[in-house]
Amino acid sequence: MKNPLKKRLLRDLRGDFGKYFVIFVLLVLSIGFVSGFLVAGESMIKAYNDSFDKYTIEDGNFRTEDKLTDSTKDRIERKDISIYENFYVEKAFDNDTTIRIYANREEIDKVCVMKGRLPEKKNEIAIDRMYADNNDLAPEDVITSDGTTYTIVGLVALSDYSALFYNNNDMMFDASAFGVAVVSKEQFDEYDSDLLRYNYSFLYHQKPKDDIEEKEVSEELMETISKKTSLENFIPRYLNQAINFTGDDIGSDKAMMEVLLCIIIIIVAFVFGITINNTIHKESCVIGTLRALGYTRGELIRHYMAMPLIVTIISAIIGNILGYTYFKNLCVDMYYGSYSLPTYVTVWSADAFLKTTIVPFIIMLVVTYFILRKKLMLSPLHLIRRNLSGEKRKAAVKLSSLIRFFDRFRIRILIQNKSSYIILFMGLFFANILLFFGMMLPPLLVHFQGIVTDTMLAKHTYLLQIPAGAVDDDNEISAALSYVVLRGKINTNNPDAEKISACSLKTIGEGGTKVEDVTLYGIQENSRYIDASFDDKTVLISSAYADKYGYGKDSVITLKEPYEDRYYGFKVTGVYDYDGAVAVFMSKKHLNDVMGLDEEFFSGFFSDTEITDIDSKYIGTVVDEESLTRVSRQLMISMGNLMYLVDGFSVIMFIVLIYLLSKLIIERNVQSISMVKILGYSKKEIAMLYIIPTAIVVIASFLISYPIVSCVMVQIFRMMLKQMMSGWMVIWLDPAAYVKMFILGVVTYAVVAVIEYRRIGRIPMSEALKNVE
Amino acid sequence: MQLELQNIKKSFGEGDSRIEVLKDISLGIEKGEFVVLLGPSGSGKSTLLNIIGGIDNADSGKIIINGKLMSDMDEKALTAYRRDHLGYIFQMYNLIPNLTVRENIEVGAYLSKKPLNIDEIIDILGLTNHQNKVPSQLSGGQQQRCAIGRAIVKNPDILLCDEPTGALDYNTSKEILALIEQVNQKYGNTVIMVTHNDAIKNMADFVVKLRDGGIRKSYRNEEKIAAKELDW
Repeated sequence: MKNPLKKRLLRDLRGDFGKYFVIFVLLVLSIGFVSGFLVAGESMIKAYNDSFDKYTIEDGNFRTEDKLTDSTKDRIERKDISIYENFYVEKAFDNDTTIRIYANREEIDKVCVMKGRLPEKKNEIAIDRMYADNNDLAPEDVITSDGTTYTIVGLVALSDYSALFYNNNDMMFDASAFGVAVVSKEQFDEYDSDLLRYNYSFLYHQKPKDDIEEKEVSEELMETISKKTSLENFIPRYLNQAINFTGDDIGSDKAMMEVLLCIIIIIVAFVFGITINNTIHKESCVIGTLRALGYTRGELIRHYMAMPLIVTIISAIIGNILGYTYFKNLCVDMYYGSYSLPTYVTVWSADAFLKTTIVPFIIMLVVTYFILRKKLMLSPLHLIRRNLSGEKRKAAVKLSSLIRFFDRFRIRILIQNKSSYIILFMGLFFANILLFFGMMLPPLLVHFQGIVTDTMLAKHTYLLQIPAGAVDDDNEISAALSYVVLRGKINTNNPDAEKISACSLKTIGEGGTKVEDVTLYGIQENSRYIDASFDDKTVLISSAYADKYGYGKDSVITLKEPYEDRYYGFKVTGVYDYDGAVAVFMSKKHLNDVMGLDEEFFSGFFSDTEITDIDSKYIGTVVDEESLTRVSRQLMISMGNLMYLVDGFSVIMFIVLIYLLSKLIIERNVQSISMVKILGYSKKEIAMLYIIPTAIVVIASFLISYPIVSCVMVQIFRMMLKQMMSGWMVIWLDPAAYVKMFILGVVTYAVVAVIEYRRIGRIPMSEALKNVE
Repeated sequence: MQLELQNIKKSFGEGDSRIEVLKDISLGIEKGEFVVLLGPSGSGKSTLLNIIGGIDNADSGKIIINGKLMSDMDEKALTAYRRDHLGYIFQMYNLIPNLTVRENIEVGAYLSKKPLNIDEIIDILGLTNHQNKVPSQLSGGQQQRCAIGRAIVKNPDILLCDEPTGALDYNTSKEILALIEQVNQKYGNTVIMVTHNDAIKNMADFVVKLRDGGIRKSYRNEEKIAAKELDW
């Protein structure tokens, strides 16, 4: 005979549809959203990784002043490389943007057509898809430059420009103001040769094993080329931000999603815990009777686990379907909003399936099983008598008769339901963590935008582009000569300019942190820009550096030369109040000494006014308000999109949790509510008795949980930002976020209270007459 | 002897608030007997029934069923004992709200390797016309009939009834008692019924009167009358 209890399952689902629907929504959204994100990330990273072979991405490029002669080209190619012409022109367009235009590429850095086609005739152009999105351009639109009108025939992704960096030394790219495009050979040949930039891409015949070998090979190649022609620029692939930035950045959002997933898993476990607990409370008489009749614990555990299990499986299937379709598309759009990636193919992600489906499923099984097992350890008699704690009944708490009867009644309700209210508090705490997670990041980014521009070291920081030969310590005489020649060209008469020595080293990733660049500034004596005095041993770290790694006075920091096995140790003598970047400050002499450079060596300027008398080709990076805003703006674009998705997701989860928890409180009190109805209490009076205490607990829970949530979130954010970002955002909690959270919480509860009020009206009086001992 | 209780003691609470609810209870019940445990509220009759049913423990003493000592049984064996040998009827029916009358009875039948014919039981219980209704569509008497059906369908050796008419009116109570009597006679199960209704003792084969946790009087009833002739 089939177990007749199985016939209950569908009826249970119908009878408790609200609860199961909430669990369903919770799981579908969590699984769908997170797996969508992870699948999109993996698909994107695969598309990115595959693009190297698929589109034959260069191993590096260099730009020469003049076109290479065939013989020079041949001689360079003897270094075991193949060279390809990749000339371009840069044109300012009428929409105040600049486009770098290439002839269509057929051999190297090939073009992925995202929409439309490649240009075939004159005055046709295929522009970068992301640049087009940011400037509201589409195929068949026209754009004009120097009186020439181009018709957009296609939207493309250039495989060597997944991040649209105008200059490789730029701190960040700006895909609104700068784009890339291809035109037909016929069109390209028409450009004035004065405008042409002789850019060459190259491929190694024998790929270097790693970055260190690549550095050696590329430096040797650069020297060879510079000896044979006038080299304007040389960018090996491992240093090319336009190629590498996307790959480095795509993975970084994952840390945030994993933190979110962790919070969700805790919430899911919690929700399963309370719902199964509630089911046992509701069904305890039946369970006790069945146990008395001879049903085994195993049979009942299996029975009560069946429905959550079915709901979880269905949710997992639908969640994964949505994850691979709707949510994935949402996240893919987000990636396409940040990077100029080629077309992708959706990949199956075992990691996403494990984390979003298998783990919550196992948690559901374990939590449900253990709670059921624990409760079913109670004797049938305890269950029949609804004494689920297994404890002896305690005497009633004495309440003063001076308290109004209605208030005493409410206090009794609070005392009687204290375990439910503790659960409500915990649930609201988790819900607030989730909500805070979503609400805190956008203002944090905006605040960071303000910090970086408000706390600039100088209005303009110029980092010079020193040709490699000038600092080559293998050939000191030649280096010294090059530098002497160069010094004349990199000096300024600007009275505001102050020489600095600067270099970039990398952290060593201690404690599993992300390896990142640290800028070391060598400051001259009595600096106008850095308000600190330096002796030969002074090493100050920026407050952002100190905050991120927990360093302070007397800490020892170890930094590493990028792509070389050379390490530097510094003993920190103090912290300099600068939140804008992870940086180290010391005297110029000290830094030059450490780096083995001449005492007078400098490599940049601080200046509050613009320096106009240095040729731009010697200026590598300019840090000014515009460039810093570009960094934070891009951060806003690449992280902001995800932020708003997380925000929306958190709000939905928050509403769902409050609904579920409040519903459970009323469910626990159905019999009492029915009884007071029989006694003649009106619906309004009953609502005042049962909804007001819950409202008080909800509001108190909000207020109590905010400071705790803040502490927890600061720790979570520190951990997460450490993993996901280079540099540092000083963690700032927006007071407005609390107000928004409170309002959202109160409004959500008000809506739930209205639903519960209606539910109270529907509770039949017969409920009190059934199953009461 | 099918069931033998020897020196059963049970108390609740500790120290000054310790109450002895069963004081050295000993009695023997023969197979097929209709036994009534009679006593006022607090006399210990329900506790005794629960100990016999294996859902509560005695502090000391022995319970021997079909020659087996209950204290030797672990939790698993006790569940099997209830499953194979006992039927339980409570004052409150504790039916499963979203199963029909028939399905509630199937819940009992599922536990037995050789359950009685469900249609026959439903017919005896007078629930044929109500078999597809859920408990909330039934009167109290009908719900208790359903609970009886659930208990007897597995044809238990012993049917334990804890105030089965406690929540019912006079006429319905008599109907229920007649039904239990009919089950006892037809299937030969031992029935142990707890009640505070003195009149019910008249339909019993064996009457055990309890007061303050002790047996005040126990006797075999030689002048047993049918349930339908009871009056109170």
